[in-house]
Amino acid sequence: MEIKNYDVVIIGSGIAGSITANILTNAGKKVLLLEAGLNAGIALDAENAYKTYQGYLNTFYENSIKVPNSPYPNIEDAPSIDVLDLKQIEPGKPDTKGYLVQMGPIPFASDCLRGAGGTTLHWLGTTLRMLPNDFKMKKTYGIGVDWPFSYNDLKPYYEMAEHEIGVAGNKESMEKWVKGQLKVDNYYGSKYQFPMEEIPPSYMDKVLISEMEGKEIVLNGVSHKIETVTTPQGRNSTPNSKYSKAGIRWNPGSKKLEFIDADFRDKYEPVGSVWDPYSGQRCEGNASCVPICPVQAKYNALKTLKKADHGNLTIKTQAVASKLIINSISNWIEGVEYKTYQEGHNGKYDLQTAKGTIYVLAASAIENAKILLASGAANSSDQVGRNLMDHMTVLSWGLNKKERVYPFRGPGSTTNIATFRDGDFRKEHAAWISPLDNWGWGWPAFSPGSDVNDAVTQGMFGKELRSFLEDRITRQVLVHAECEQAPDPECRVTIDPAYLDQLGNYRPVIHYRATEYMLKAFEAGREFVTQLFDKAGIEDYTVYNPEKDADYVTYKGKGYSFEGAGHIVGTHRMGKTKEDSVVNENMRTWDHDNLFLVGCGNMPTLGTSNPTLTMAALTFKAAEAILNQLEN
Amino acid sequence: MSNPDASPPQFLKISSLLTGFTETELIGTGMLDSYLNTILKNSAKEDVKYFFENAKEILDEPNQTEESIAISTRKQLMPDSSYGGLAKKIIILWYTGSWKVNENSSKIISPASYKQGLMWDAGHTHPPGAKQPGFGSWAKLPISVMINDKSKTNGN
Repeated sequence: MEIKNYDVVIIGSGIAGSITANILTNAGKKVLLLEAGLNAGIALDAENAYKTYQGYLNTFYENSIKVPNSPYPNIEDAPSIDVLDLKQIEPGKPDTKGYLVQMGPIPFASDCLRGAGGTTLHWLGTTLRMLPNDFKMKKTYGIGVDWPFSYNDLKPYYEMAEHEIGVAGNKESMEKWVKGQLKVDNYYGSKYQFPMEEIPPSYMDKVLISEMEGKEIVLNGVSHKIETVTTPQGRNSTPNSKYSKAGIRWNPGSKKLEFIDADFRDKYEPVGSVWDPYSGQRCEGNASCVPICPVQAKYNALKTLKKADHGNLTIKTQAVASKLIINSISNWIEGVEYKTYQEGHNGKYDLQTAKGTIYVLAASAIENAKILLASGAANSSDQVGRNLMDHMTVLSWGLNKKERVYPFRGPGSTTNIATFRDGDFRKEHAAWISPLDNWGWGWPAFSPGSDVNDAVTQGMFGKELRSFLEDRITRQVLVHAECEQAPDPECRVTIDPAYLDQLGNYRPVIHYRATEYMLKAFEAGREFVTQLFDKAGIEDYTVYNPEKDADYVTYKGKGYSFEGAGHIVGTHRMGKTKEDSVVNENMRTWDHDNLFLVGCGNMPTLGTSNPTLTMAALTFKAAEAILNQLEN
Repeated sequence: MSNPDASPPQFLKISSLLTGFTETELIGTGMLDSYLNTILKNSAKEDVKYFFENAKEILDEPNQTEESIAISTRKQLMPDSSYGGLAKKIIILWYTGSWKVNENSSKIISPASYKQGLMWDAGHTHPPGAKQPGFGSWAKLPISVMINDKSKTNGN
């Protein structure tokens, strides 16, 4: 039994939990942070942090299939979702092989990482803000729901998130498109600066842009112009000499979070690796952001956790939260039960309870929903677990017949086609963003290893083989259509006492499907790429396999396969009323005055941005509200 | 193991023939001994013996031309029915750093073998997560392309 009473108990040390812990401890609050992952992962001192991370890196090198979770330990007592478990679901037969119990009809295709630092260890680092219309989908297009606030309301918190993550970007590129196609002014604003200059767009981007920029695409009788935008990213680049912010702090007078202005002599200094502040200050072009940046030039949440006031922070690892204890009279949360495992593989644990004034769930969209359902908490709206969303990602790949583009270099993506991120078509089908992928056919075909195998199987060897591979690898192009999944109450996380993990905690039971709104987007997205490839001189090599692809769907007689984007969103939506949402605009649960939820689960809709930046912005907003509540 | 034909210098020669990479490039990976050991450890002794004997014959052929060597290699070494498919396994080992256990499974020998996979060099790039070419290098043509094409020295 835990005796100490903390100001705040936080569940999870991913980016949402780490931002919350950092802000609260630096504001003088006593915080307990519970992390389900192994103790080694939380190391922040130079020697141990380096040692643990080199262990991840070697595991990555040695792993034959380099999926996002491949470098990191998968703990039997606190398992992570593994995309290698994905397969088609036979009707009426749930797939129980992996951690998720997949009820179907199609499987949920994304993973996340249960471990210190969370999924930021393997995120790509794309930091696009959402678009103004993304916050009012119902009002503008009659689809989904509206957020309880607007883009402009979130803007100050986006700036905090971009500071915290350390975003390298080209403001002008994005604003040109937003102003031109969407008629939106002041998207970033004239005074705004990113901490760092843009990550240089790849050689391939330049070749493809010269072939496609401004070309016309006709979809469903409507003409669209291809417009590309440089992608802002959470990885270290050249410091922006105009950037003038040094930190974020709580102002107890104004009761707000505010920026600390930099001394005019100080230049922005990129945040290096956890083990050495002077390494990782620039992206070095390892081209392995997913699953692991060897030098930590890419942001991860441990960098934020390191900045916490450790005099006010207690961290307990190997501590798996299983249940919130609810006071039956006040309906306040009065404790969180957690199971501390010793070995990680034998199911042996000690049951403990942590107590605090306020509780914050920051355990990922799926785990947050699962813990709430297991506790009978926060669910008077019946929305907990519902509206599970992801970017359903349809991949198209081909060979550039005109010239070699030299892929497999640089960060995963440095440019995106923004044209279909917003427009009237959203009334009919989902919007999508199309990142130009710098890593050839690695994702859909495991290239270049598969190219070697195919060529050698055909009997190629020697100079003929080398020159075949040179040509095959250097012409590979991959374009995604990352389609915004609309909220669907039947896509959901549930629990079932028949499915428990070996600590006796619930396993997430997932129900998932693609509605016609999504299928229409797959059809349009493929039509878009077909026209695009045609104009750019790219020969289409895309194949969707009806037998093998886990998420193979058909629409109007044609088949499409989609992949998960790792963007797990929407299981405890934020809203204006307690009848139709789980949390209010400050991410406090409607049902329990001392329970806050942070993370992507709060997002009512997804937009076409990778969600981490928006989630980080929301977390600053939540942290501000928590401090207000503690000080009132 | 006392097989004079399966010596590191012989293995180097036959590897160069099979991969299309020069002996200098192959030595530069630092993987020669490790790969030879992998082959000796994982293949039937008889396959190894006759494979290296056959390889020596091809390499020592009198009046040889590049073409005649290629024809002999294709006919005698490359078929799946020759020496347990060892030639193909050697090529895949050098190119990917993996030993092909069977049709559906292969294993990366070591972190070093992953980093030294020749497929990355063949594609004018580097293995993800290692041999990083430096900040912003991806915005230009690969250096290995630039030095072979002086007209593109600016890399644009």
